[in-house]
Amino acid sequence: MRDLAYRLLVYEVGAGNASEPSEPPAIRVYEKLRLSLGEFVGVAGFQSLASRALTLARPEVPSLSAAQVAADGSLEGLGDIKAQFDMGKDSATNGEIILIARLLGLLRLFLGEALTLSLLRSTWPGEVFEDRNSLHGRKV
Amino acid sequence: MKTQDKVKINKLPTGVPGLDEIVGGGLPEFSFNIIAGAPGSGKTTLAHQFVFANASEERPALYFTVLGESAIKMLRYQQQYTFFDPAKLPRSIRFINLSQVVLEKDLGAVLEQVTKEVEKSNPAVVVVDSFRTMVRKPESDMDLQSFIQRLALFLASWQATTFLIGEYAEEELRDNPIFTVADGLFWLRQTAERNSIVRKLQVIKLRGQDSVPGLHTFRITDAGVQAFSRTFGLTARKRNPPSNRRLSFGIAELDKMLDGGVREGDSVLIAGSSGTGKSVLATQFIAEGIRHGEPGIVAVFEERPEAYAERATSLGLDLETPQKDGKLTILYLRPLDLSVDETMQSILDAVEKIGAKRLVIDSLAGFEMALSPGFRADFRESLYRMIFALTGIGVTILSTVEVDESFTEFPFSTYSISFLTDDIIRLRYVSIDGQLRKIMVVIKMRGGNHAKDIREYEITSKGVVILGKRLANYQGLISGIPVRVDRPNSAEEPSQDTGIEHKT
Repeated sequence: MRDLAYRLLVYEVGAGNASEPSEPPAIRVYEKLRLSLGEFVGVAGFQSLASRALTLARPEVPSLSAAQVAADGSLEGLGDIKAQFDMGKDSATNGEIILIARLLGLLRLFLGEALTLSLLRSTWPGEVFEDRNSLHGRKV
Repeated sequence: MKTQDKVKINKLPTGVPGLDEIVGGGLPEFSFNIIAGAPGSGKTTLAHQFVFANASEERPALYFTVLGESAIKMLRYQQQYTFFDPAKLPRSIRFINLSQVVLEKDLGAVLEQVTKEVEKSNPAVVVVDSFRTMVRKPESDMDLQSFIQRLALFLASWQATTFLIGEYAEEELRDNPIFTVADGLFWLRQTAERNSIVRKLQVIKLRGQDSVPGLHTFRITDAGVQAFSRTFGLTARKRNPPSNRRLSFGIAELDKMLDGGVREGDSVLIAGSSGTGKSVLATQFIAEGIRHGEPGIVAVFEERPEAYAERATSLGLDLETPQKDGKLTILYLRPLDLSVDETMQSILDAVEKIGAKRLVIDSLAGFEMALSPGFRADFRESLYRMIFALTGIGVTILSTVEVDESFTEFPFSTYSISFLTDDIIRLRYVSIDGQLRKIMVVIKMRGGNHAKDIREYEITSKGVVILGKRLANYQGLISGIPVRVDRPNSAEEPSQDTGIEHKT
């Protein structure tokens, strides 16, 4: 799932350059997931999944220790980590990848890869999911 | 009103094998339906099958989940079924969670949310799972009846076929307004009977369509819900007119006793105790049919098909080649937990597949024992329905049944099923001259003549061989302990008498 998380982030980096959004790519990926999955699993359902993903990511990304998932599923208390994410506006940082990868990993665990990809395809364009190695020349 | 003036109601495939037949060809388009039943009865699975069978990107399905099972867990489990196609999500099938609006707002807000999503997606199918939890708040501003009425009107106007799923008790049927508004009401039941679970489906109501009444067995397998219509899908088939064609057993003397053979489309019962040759006769009957180009099915319950075919080989009958050629199917219906209707459906499917003209059920006792205890009570009724359906399309059925040998009576069957057989051949042991010998007699042939002779037979390497003439020198043969009597030679050897009793 790190590979897929990386590709979603890379896509958002590209999309960010085009429209100059204010949020770092990791937050944009997270928010898109929150909105699309929230419709499907409900706000409380997404909040539970995101909390678990955050817990799983913390040991690998200590700077996430202050982060929390709010009742509506949004990320709070990012502080320094948001600044780090901001620094990585033009590229995906390891911390970003891990957080998103953990969330996607939970989806794959519960729903399987085929269904997870089907759900993501409704939010991101198909090319993000095609030819995994060609996007960045490496498997993450 | 003329037929051409009536509105045509499109029928949608239910996606549930067997259910289309039960609902009269498919579910009426734009109908507003309830699937009710206890937890674990298969409500959600049935709804998913309908959704996957009908949703498309142009006309998607909206699946509203409310409280209870989370969508993530629901999909985790549902994707185990073979009908589940993950590629259909989320463009053709959208899952929308309404928990928050249900928990935090009133029914008016719920209706508003449903309306918004339906208007956005233009769905062909809408499911609310569970509707019961959606309307759980009695203090809602909007009256429940008004909510249901408006929801039903809105969804029908938007040309959506709707399923509301709920855990309802049958006592609620009278008072709950939802059941009045619904066009279709499907009730799923499961009960434990001894060590088995018996699942039954009932279409309590279905407006505008001629559904099959009664309780239909269903099973949940890895393919989802499979229903077994009480009419076995043969209601629409035209019954063949009675045939005068006779089918041979391949035993000349027995054919003579039957006035030329079994009448095509008859149900024949061969009754006798263990070792009297019931299965041998049945095998000869099926093999003779194959020789005449009539495909056959043998349903066995007590031995495996290989053993059955091997035994036939020892009688000089080749059942291997016709199996390879698609002219014969030996169905081994495994014991344990079979419902009578699904067993019969297996037989019917096999009959249909090879165009069988002859069917052997060997034996009825084995058949009954293969059923789960809860279904045994329905055995005779189901057997009657199957025999009626199959003989109606010209299949000739030969069933064997073991009867307890008694020396004081002469029972035809322990099942009291002679009413559903046209012809009965009785085999039994008799004690003659210090030997245990075998006799057979044709007890009845509905609508035809038959010999009244009691004939001795043997089972040889060529199968059943009927010996000599009728046993004229004994009285009390059917008691099993006959008494020898002296008769004049003319009576002892009725050389020209076929023993046929000609009915007028």
